[in-house]
Amino acid sequence: MELTKNITLGVYLPGKSKIHNLDPRTKILAVTLIIILLLLSRSYVAFAFSAIFIGALVIISGIPAGYALRGLKPMLPVLVIMWFFQLFLFKSPGATVYFNWWIFEATAAGLHMGNLIILRVLFLFIVTTFLTLTTSVVNLTDGLESLLKPLRMIGLPSQELVMTLVIALRFVLILAEELEKIMKAQMARGVAFDRGNFIQKTKKIFPVFLPLFIGAFKRAEELIVAMDARSYTGGKGRTKMKTLQMSNADFSAAAIMLIYSGIIITTIIFTPPMI
Amino acid sequence: MPIEVIDLNHSFKEGTPFEKQVLFDISLSIAEGEFVGIIGPTRAGKTTLAQHFNALHIPHKGKVLVDGWDTSNKKTDLMTIRHRVGYVFQNPEYQLFAPTVGADIAFGPGNQQLSREEIDKRVREAMALVGLDYNIFYDRDIFALSGGQKRRAAIAGVLACKPKVLVLDDITAGLDPRGREEILAVIQNLHNSQNITIVFISNSMDEVATVAQRIIVINNGKIFMDGSTREVFSRFNELRSIGLELPEVTVFIDKLKDAGFNLPDGILSVNEALLSITATLREMEGSR
Repeated sequence: MELTKNITLGVYLPGKSKIHNLDPRTKILAVTLIIILLLLSRSYVAFAFSAIFIGALVIISGIPAGYALRGLKPMLPVLVIMWFFQLFLFKSPGATVYFNWWIFEATAAGLHMGNLIILRVLFLFIVTTFLTLTTSVVNLTDGLESLLKPLRMIGLPSQELVMTLVIALRFVLILAEELEKIMKAQMARGVAFDRGNFIQKTKKIFPVFLPLFIGAFKRAEELIVAMDARSYTGGKGRTKMKTLQMSNADFSAAAIMLIYSGIIITTIIFTPPMI
Repeated sequence: MPIEVIDLNHSFKEGTPFEKQVLFDISLSIAEGEFVGIIGPTRAGKTTLAQHFNALHIPHKGKVLVDGWDTSNKKTDLMTIRHRVGYVFQNPEYQLFAPTVGADIAFGPGNQQLSREEIDKRVREAMALVGLDYNIFYDRDIFALSGGQKRRAAIAGVLACKPKVLVLDDITAGLDPRGREEILAVIQNLHNSQNITIVFISNSMDEVATVAQRIIVINNGKIFMDGSTREVFSRFNELRSIGLELPEVTVFIDKLKDAGFNLPDGILSVNEALLSITATLREMEGSR
């Protein structure tokens, strides 16, 4: 049994590709831009262009495509349920009706709405996973911090915010490991998590979450003490060992992003939306 | 044979860029009633190997047979295997989750569809075996227990499932000397009175030397040595080469020998040491 195998969010895959070597700020801004464009996209053509672009990025980065997609596996059932919800429950007057039973009505509008939502979730997930896969936590922190710095002037505690975010990312893996240990300990005493109907399975979850939460609080407390012991007092007055430096590659990346944005915005304007 | 391992190979994160093989071509068998110690440097693969014994890990290559049942066979009922092979984890906190000691110990048998009377009987038995008084501890809050008591409650929780084989994964780590002694006494007593087969993983050479009859040394995912306790600890140069030490008593006797005392080889316990030192001293007195 290995739960951590399928977790790719927050995992860094070291490499020497052009994308790994970009300044983290470039990558964060680019990903933010891609996400905004994805949220604006409402046509299949626009998604097709994004798919090609993101696919190319993954190939350049040298990350195995199968691994980049692996994190989706546990989410798959949720996505399928979401799709069915949209298909049967999204109503739009005048849309073609495929199928009708009781309160359920599968319409063309529902189908496209379902597709749109699934595509968005898929792409958002892949893009954010891609960012963490190609950027180490240290770089990610430094990049975010540097980008948020101007907001300090209006009183936003940027360094603290970033620290919180990074700790949250780290905890995804730590909690998964902990969950695995607890589940194993219970399996060893005869719990079969994969057996029984939906209600029986759900009941088995509670004795797992209790120790998990207790453990999480304990860990959080230990972390606080450990940070305190090393004199962490927040962002004020903290200096950096490594300072970030933009290079030519970052300007080329910016140019590529501009072209990509142009293409997507054009398609958004000129191609028919799904619904 | 309660446990038979044939050409076992295992990798972590298989199919990802982080794939790492942790066990290589391991073959071994553990006979009924044996007391086997497993030692090795950290990250050698001891826990991963032991978690194959009760089907928490399923072999990717090779086979693990528990009482002849192949754990990688889809038709094998893994629950039966996990009832036969009990496993006490490194940190008992992971095992204890019910509010009271009694409820926690009853969790395992409760999963075996037993009658209420049978469950209660097993809880009593298990608590008696580990030396927790039923009347005092049954309703005791788990978090009110000391470290040693927690370990004993965790062991009782596994014993209540009536396993034929008991895997103990570094269960004395982090305990004070008295807690360690108490736990070791419980284990020895179990082995002697119930004839349970015991697999004892430990980082303490002194403990393994006192309790185990046979020792398997794992290094880098391979079997480095497999033999009687005396035999394994007589090959100290090889043990030292992989970062393991000898029991402190043995080291002490070695130093005495270097200083010119005439003492026998392969002394593993304080008692043995005491006897041979007094014998040697008498001899020296006599010759003078």
